[in-house]
Amino acid sequence: MKDFVKFENVYKRYKMGEVTITAADGVNFSIDEGEFAVIVGLSGAGKTTVLNILGGIDSCDEGRIMVGGKDISHLSKHDLASYRRYDIGFVFQFYNLIPNLTARENVELAVQICRDHLDVDTVLDSVGLADRKNNFPSQLSGGEQQRVSIARALAKKPKLLLCDEPTGALDYNTGKNILKLLQTKCIEDGMTVVLITHNSAITPMANRVIHMRSGKVISNMTNPSPMPVEQIEW
Amino acid sequence: MKEKKKALRKNVFREIARNKSRFISIFAIIGISVGFFTGVKSACPSMTETARQYFEEQKLMDISLISTVGFDEKDVDDIKKIDFVREVMPSYFADLIVKEGDIDSVVRVMALPDENPEINKPLLKEGRFPEKDDECLLDSYYAKLSGVQTGDTVTFSEKAENTPTSDFIRHTRYKIVGLADTPLYLTYARGSTNAGSGSISFYIMIKSKEFVSERYTKIFILTDASEKVASTLSDEYKDLVENEKKVLEDLSQSCISRFRDTTLSDAKTELQKARKEFSDKKAEALQKIADGETKLADGQKELEEKIAEGEKKLADGQKELEDGRKKLEQGKTEYAEKIKEGQQKLADGRKKYAEGKAEYEKGLLEYNTKMEQAQNKLDSAQKEFDIQYELFYKTTKPQAENKLALLQSGIDVAEKGIENIRSALRQMKNIGIAGNTDSLKKRLAEYEEQLADLQEQYDDGMLQLADGEKQLNDAKKQLENAENEFLSQKAEAAKKLNDGKIQLDEAERNLAAGELELQIGMNTGLLELQQAQEKLDEGEKELEKGRAELETQRQKALAELESARKKLENGRKEADEQLSNAEKQLSDAQKKIDSLENAKWHIYDRDDNTGYTGLEEDAQRVDNIAKVFPLFFLIVAALVCLTTMSRMVEERRTETGTLKALGYSSADISAKYLIYGGLAGFGGCVIGGLSGVFTLPQIIVDAYGVMYLLPKTKLVISWDSYLLSSAVAVLCICLVALFACRNDLKLEPATLMRPKAPKPGKRILLEYITPLWKRLNFTSKVTARNLFRYKARFFMTVTGVAGCTALIVSGFGLMDSIKSIGDLQYVDITKYEQVYALSEKGTAEQKAELMSKFYNDDRFNKAMLTYMGWSNTSSRNSSVTLSARVIIGENTEDFQKMFILRDRKSHKAFTLENNAVIIDERMSDVLKVKKGDTLNLHIDDMPCSCKISAVTENYAGNFIYMTPECYETLTGKTIEYNVVLTTVSDTAKDIQHKMANDFMKYDDIVTVSLISEQVEAIMDTLNSLNIVVFVMVFCAGLLAVVVLYNLTNINIAERVREIATIKVLGFYSLETANYIYRENIVLTIVGASAGLFMGNLLTGFIVGSIQMNNVMFPKIISPLSYVWGFLLTLAFSMLVNFIMYFKMNQISMVESLKSIE
Repeated sequence: MKDFVKFENVYKRYKMGEVTITAADGVNFSIDEGEFAVIVGLSGAGKTTVLNILGGIDSCDEGRIMVGGKDISHLSKHDLASYRRYDIGFVFQFYNLIPNLTARENVELAVQICRDHLDVDTVLDSVGLADRKNNFPSQLSGGEQQRVSIARALAKKPKLLLCDEPTGALDYNTGKNILKLLQTKCIEDGMTVVLITHNSAITPMANRVIHMRSGKVISNMTNPSPMPVEQIEW
Repeated sequence: MKEKKKALRKNVFREIARNKSRFISIFAIIGISVGFFTGVKSACPSMTETARQYFEEQKLMDISLISTVGFDEKDVDDIKKIDFVREVMPSYFADLIVKEGDIDSVVRVMALPDENPEINKPLLKEGRFPEKDDECLLDSYYAKLSGVQTGDTVTFSEKAENTPTSDFIRHTRYKIVGLADTPLYLTYARGSTNAGSGSISFYIMIKSKEFVSERYTKIFILTDASEKVASTLSDEYKDLVENEKKVLEDLSQSCISRFRDTTLSDAKTELQKARKEFSDKKAEALQKIADGETKLADGQKELEEKIAEGEKKLADGQKELEDGRKKLEQGKTEYAEKIKEGQQKLADGRKKYAEGKAEYEKGLLEYNTKMEQAQNKLDSAQKEFDIQYELFYKTTKPQAENKLALLQSGIDVAEKGIENIRSALRQMKNIGIAGNTDSLKKRLAEYEEQLADLQEQYDDGMLQLADGEKQLNDAKKQLENAENEFLSQKAEAAKKLNDGKIQLDEAERNLAAGELELQIGMNTGLLELQQAQEKLDEGEKELEKGRAELETQRQKALAELESARKKLENGRKEADEQLSNAEKQLSDAQKKIDSLENAKWHIYDRDDNTGYTGLEEDAQRVDNIAKVFPLFFLIVAALVCLTTMSRMVEERRTETGTLKALGYSSADISAKYLIYGGLAGFGGCVIGGLSGVFTLPQIIVDAYGVMYLLPKTKLVISWDSYLLSSAVAVLCICLVALFACRNDLKLEPATLMRPKAPKPGKRILLEYITPLWKRLNFTSKVTARNLFRYKARFFMTVTGVAGCTALIVSGFGLMDSIKSIGDLQYVDITKYEQVYALSEKGTAEQKAELMSKFYNDDRFNKAMLTYMGWSNTSSRNSSVTLSARVIIGENTEDFQKMFILRDRKSHKAFTLENNAVIIDERMSDVLKVKKGDTLNLHIDDMPCSCKISAVTENYAGNFIYMTPECYETLTGKTIEYNVVLTTVSDTAKDIQHKMANDFMKYDDIVTVSLISEQVEAIMDTLNSLNIVVFVMVFCAGLLAVVVLYNLTNINIAERVREIATIKVLGFYSLETANYIYRENIVLTIVGASAGLFMGNLLTGFIVGSIQMNNVMFPKIISPLSYVWGFLLTLAFSMLVNFIMYFKMNQISMVESLKSIE
């Protein structure tokens, strides 16, 4: 589906006392279904804001956001929660696993509120954590934790997988592995992935690369032949 | 250095501003704790100080004296001479009766204190002090109770018992001009007396000169004791007063012997004189009565004579009257006869007359008929004659005449023919024709013949007519003859008739004359008779009148006689009464003198005022509670502060690291937390604490104020407690702050600056119980694991909640315990309902006689002669001396029914033995003695000791039970029973009052007290503790809210990331709240359950600490109290959850999930 995700003139302003910061300053872009989209930009370029708005955990002040033909910019709190529940999978930089739950339980936590979901064990197996299912987050390495996080997002069978600097807290190789996993999921399962990063080196792996600066999209390019992650060096 | 500190200080204040709720929760919990502690602690001194000031200002006496014989100026002077006596005020009082409807109320009439010295000054509540003699001040409490107002009057009955009211006071009516309280009465109990129903309803105060008595009835003394000591409730004061009382005791001996020598001997002489006078007067009175009786008898006799005379006169008159009546009767008969005769005669005449008349009428009738017949005959003869006549004249005669005329005419014709033929013959003759003369001569001859025939016929007719006429005349003549005969006959008959008529008329006239005569005769006779009758009647009337007059005179005389008799009787009665009164007075005087012989002074101190000791005990009880509860509060508060501070330190970990890296010392860094905690604590102490201090004692003391007649409470804040608790609180919180940050300070700055790894997840014990774990659903597992993850918080929450529940449970439990005392003691243990105190003078026989009155009155179920005494009781195990009631029942069987002696736990019954006593449980605790130990007693001034055979269940009061035999062995005296204990069939108050009233009439009964009223009084005091309980429950609730709020707050703050994460995962608001609350609810339930258990222990502890020497508070918690404790805690928890729900909703996912700084 073309224009699976579409931002139309989206504005987001934060008021910090008397200062107003415009984090999204008329953002316009669109992403097609099944694409691996990367939003790059420096810190403070507004990419996280865009991702948060897209993920339904923040709201925009102006503009329209269409996801799968649905306008999510004016949903109620409750509808946003449903949107997050059924349509979105989130992967954070710091994993945000529940420390008191095992890997498996963390996935279960997400799955138990979904109507249609994947089998927990299958998902964990698919992200390569077959042996660590019953470990607590503190017993897992950063990469493993991020895998749990990805598994948690994927198990919900989301329409959109949003990743906020998923490799930011990981070392080079582990980060690469995680990106590999995401790319595989995109290619093999046709999952639409939106990933934000400040590292423009990884843009070649994406179908679409959106550059942001100061809250504005400065370029939105498609890459007809994305490179496999293994071949990218940074 | 200065700069550094400035920045750091700024940091502290920013911290406070940023985390207001945390600051406030520490602030609040410290405030509540300190406020509560100080508040409750201040209640006791406030109460005692208010009382102390009141006593001082109103100059409450230290000692009061009542003598059985009163006091005189010499006594007063003697007392004044004692060195410890500051002021002496002789005064008066009397217990008099006021009738209210059917009820006699006993009123204590007291003298207003003099200007100087003004001891026991009444505190005017309304109106003014009396100015006129017949004005009074009224008990303000009674005024409130009864609605009596100033301007109303108090009216006394003429008599109080047997003494006229005027013997006591000068007026019987007093106008109420003011309402007042007196320090002599601290509570609403007005005490007992030996007048009326035995209990005083209210008091009034009048001017002292209104009292008639020349001897003072009471003396109030102010001594050094109250000046020397700080608190007159202290033991020191009591000891001083006790010593002073001893001195007065000694003085009383000399005063009494002086009294005996002077006043009493005077009185004796006077009595002697009075005796003499009495016997003189008695004789005189008896003589007077005898005189009266003689006079009365004379009068009686005279009356009888007079009556006889009058009766005789009456009888004569009666006889005369009867004669007259007889004569009259005779006259009446005679008259009747005469009348009868006349009437007979008259009747005969009338009969004859009637006959004559009938005859006459018959004659008349006959005459009339005959006349008529004759007339008729005549008439018919006349008629026939008339017919004949008419016929003759009208028909026959004309016919005949016609015939005659015809015949005449024929004659004429024939004559004429003859003439004519003659003529013709003559002519012929003359002429001579003679031929024819033969025919003519023949014809003439024919004519002549014819004429002769006609003539003849005519003549015949003529004859015939004359004949008819003659016949007619004959008939007429005949008729006229007959008529004449008839007329003469008629006249003759008429004459005859007329003669008869005249005769008849005369007879009638005669008859009428006779009748008239008779009538006249009758009338005169009747008139005469009537006159005679009238005379008789008059005579009779006169006789009747005479009789009536005699009767009235007799009555009058009798009445006079009767009244004279009555007068005499009254006179005699009066004389009897007066004599017996005089006799009684004499014997009373004798008795009085006798009683004066053993005159005694009763010496009372403040403790004898009602409520005085209760006040102290009440205050002490509140103080005891204050010891336990707030301590508990402080512990919980410290725990809460610890968690809060720990959390804060943890949150500021990076900051600590940074500061450390910047080179700040540990002291500088920890100062921040010290200042933060210290400020919160200090602020709490100042604001919260002070608000507690200024409200709680007021509430508590006001609640007690309901029980006591004290002026508005003066707050005495226990600053010691305030400062102490504040210091402890602030110190505590500072220590907690240091304790919380001490770990972090030890670490390297680098480590600190790295985010602290979240507490690792761990398998909990429960997971190893696989069958159970498996059965739990996912969320329960999460909850279970979370619960055990933060053990400190778990512990903290459970402790806080449990504390709250425990406080509520023990609050209610305390109420239950207090409430149950009444039932336990007066329903389960002691069963008697009334106490009749007997006079000391009664002999055993009199008592037995009195008892029969109880036995015969079916309003009582049981009555038992009982000995009730007091004994100072001690043991060698304890320094305490208890004043205990010694109870000895005359009859073991009844005794066992009125006093249930049993073991508290097993309810095993005890029986009294002759060589040992049974004591109550509280005494056993206080004196530290148990079964088999020896108890030191002091019964009826006789020190002795005895073995204890059992310790019995008992709650209110200290009791020593023994058998009469045991008493006699111990004291060597014969037992003198002094009360009657009764159980009644109907416990209704008015019925019991009626019984009391009835029995107060017996001289042998001095006072009556109803147990139900005592219980009410006791329960009133104890129930005032309820307000403390409510304050406790309220504060417990406040505590629960603060603790739960704080802990939930921390819980949420710590897990904000987790909450944000699950929100991102798409949990709805309620689901998110549930995720956190499930833990809270479990914690609350666990805490509340633990609290129920702790509440039980705490109640036991509190109940133990408020025990008094003479009251054993049972530890009783009703199931409902547990339910309340549990439910209220849950309710508080729900309230907190509700508040937190909004806070949780506000957690921003974006902010919370931002990368860790």
